[in-house]
Amino acid sequence: MRIALKSYGTILTSRPAGREAALSMKAHIHPVPGEMIELDFDGVLSVGPSWLDEVLSSLRGDYGRERVICLPTKNFSVIESLRVIDA
Amino acid sequence: MRPNDLKKELGITPQAIHRHLRSMVAASEIEVIGRGPKTLYYIAGNPRLDKVLNWSASNDRPAGDPGESNCETRDVFTARLSHLSSLTKTGLKEEDLSLVISVAGEIGNNCFDHNLGNWRDVPGCWFEFQVTAGRLWICIADRGQGVFRSLRRVDPSIPDDQSALITAFEKTLSGRAPENRGNGLKFVRNIIVVGEKRGVACRSGAGIVDYGSLGQECRSVLAVHPHPPIGTVTLILWSMI
Repeated sequence: MRIALKSYGTILTSRPAGREAALSMKAHIHPVPGEMIELDFDGVLSVGPSWLDEVLSSLRGDYGRERVICLPTKNFSVIESLRVIDA
Repeated sequence: MRPNDLKKELGITPQAIHRHLRSMVAASEIEVIGRGPKTLYYIAGNPRLDKVLNWSASNDRPAGDPGESNCETRDVFTARLSHLSSLTKTGLKEEDLSLVISVAGEIGNNCFDHNLGNWRDVPGCWFEFQVTAGRLWICIADRGQGVFRSLRRVDPSIPDDQSALITAFEKTLSGRAPENRGNGLKFVRNIIVVGEKRGVACRSGAGIVDYGSLGQECRSVLAVHPHPPIGTVTLILWSMI
């Protein structure tokens, strides 16, 4: 299951916005057991670590760390955010 | 300084002053702001931050209308953050834009995360950016409780403003504990330090820190104001050349 993050905006910043986005995602996605959840950053201009941390923590908490993955991207803000979050 | 001021100071004719000014503008040594009798000339490459630094350091509630620079709510700040997108037209590389926005976003959102309901007087943050001589300056300030008061609540062993700022930028600790957070300023520091021509300085109370190859320059700009900020003021410098 792929989630197009551009649906949540092109600038994804702040914890409150990340929390809200995660709640919305969980309300709308219904993955079958074992199905991977892929976060797609295509079309997103910038992501902050606060926003991404809220989303990943929430999804990983519900579906398990190994089932939630970030698809490869050349967006430096995503790469650097993940470096801080997963440090 | 206006041309008339120069005329009095240097004792040369207005025509000679205008000739010199034109050649300095052509050589990108100075920049022109305004038109007609209100024309002002500034040294290229330096930011014009008198307004925000005075706003930040004022002991009393700042008088007057702060204009568009003041973002009273997080929503307003987020909307104005998108104005940074226009910087690609003035020379910011596409690949740097995402980082500039996320760095400014983390700092600006911190103003709201740590001060909501605890503002000294004016709610929100001051957010402005300027480009001069291929250098992007971003200034974000708030009149909140400051970094020391925010972190001291979760770690009473932090002794002063300076230690609090170092902790904020270098350790994973948040004034919003027990929430699991505190990575934002580490992210900012990482982005600034990894780039060749980037800098950041942050002043809060009596404390001041800087990071990156241009951090010292940011520190000099913030430190020149005689009074410390009421809350926190952060200055980012990002070379676009």
